[in-house]
Amino acid sequence: MTEATDLAERAGDRDPRIGLRAVSALRRLLEQLEAVQVRSARNQGWSWQEIAAELGVSRQAVHKKYGRQ
Amino acid sequence: MFERFTKDARAVVIGAIEHAERAGEERVDEPHVLLALLDREGSRAAFALAALGLTGQREAVVRDLAEARRRGGLSRADTDALAGLGVDVAEIVSRIEEAHGEGVLAAGRQGGARRSGRRPFTRGAKDLLTMSLRTALAHDDRHIGDEHLLLALTARPGVPAEVLADHGVTHESIERVLWGKGETKAG
Repeated sequence: MTEATDLAERAGDRDPRIGLRAVSALRRLLEQLEAVQVRSARNQGWSWQEIAAELGVSRQAVHKKYGRQ
Repeated sequence: MFERFTKDARAVVIGAIEHAERAGEERVDEPHVLLALLDREGSRAAFALAALGLTGQREAVVRDLAEARRRGGLSRADTDALAGLGVDVAEIVSRIEEAHGEGVLAAGRQGGARRSGRRPFTRGAKDLLTMSLRTALAHDDRHIGDEHLLLALTARPGVPAEVLADHGVTHESIERVLWGKGETKAG
């Protein structure tokens, strides 16, 4: 958490173009990492509820995003 | 909009869908459009790419695109920006691959289940098609050819434009070989 705050602060004191690009890239990287981890959890038999709890979002949100059969 | 596409431009769009299908990817993205452009022969885009010496470098371009995919589709400008924050993308990729297998970030957006039916285009790919229309209008061309798709691709920030630029294909160089613009600047 403090790490993310730290990143956000440092992103703020740069050239806005670089800072914004970094934020956008970080968001895309985050999406990719989330997909990898959710897939891994599902392969290990985790329920959507368990995954959602770890991610701090609703079960419906995770299922809607990754629950395609 | 598609009724304004030339036969070559349509072939590129169809080719991009096929590249996405072959790679097992759920969505058609801008790199697929570049791969489809590289497949063309005898078109305006093919002429421009050949004139800029890309013909023999096809494999290298394909390799560069695959490398970017392995980084989760992040461009070099993206990874540089993240390095500015102390985020080492190469390190993250290597750790994730160690734990989850090689190329796992490239599979991030794979659906796997979508075997048939229409593959949606990413927002970036849709924007690219829209931009090709604007590019054609800017050149007073009635139809959207594959050269407009190529030009639009180089005008958008991202992996395809970076990879093309690494091989000498930029917005300016294409304008020069196809429309003779910027010759004084180049010479």
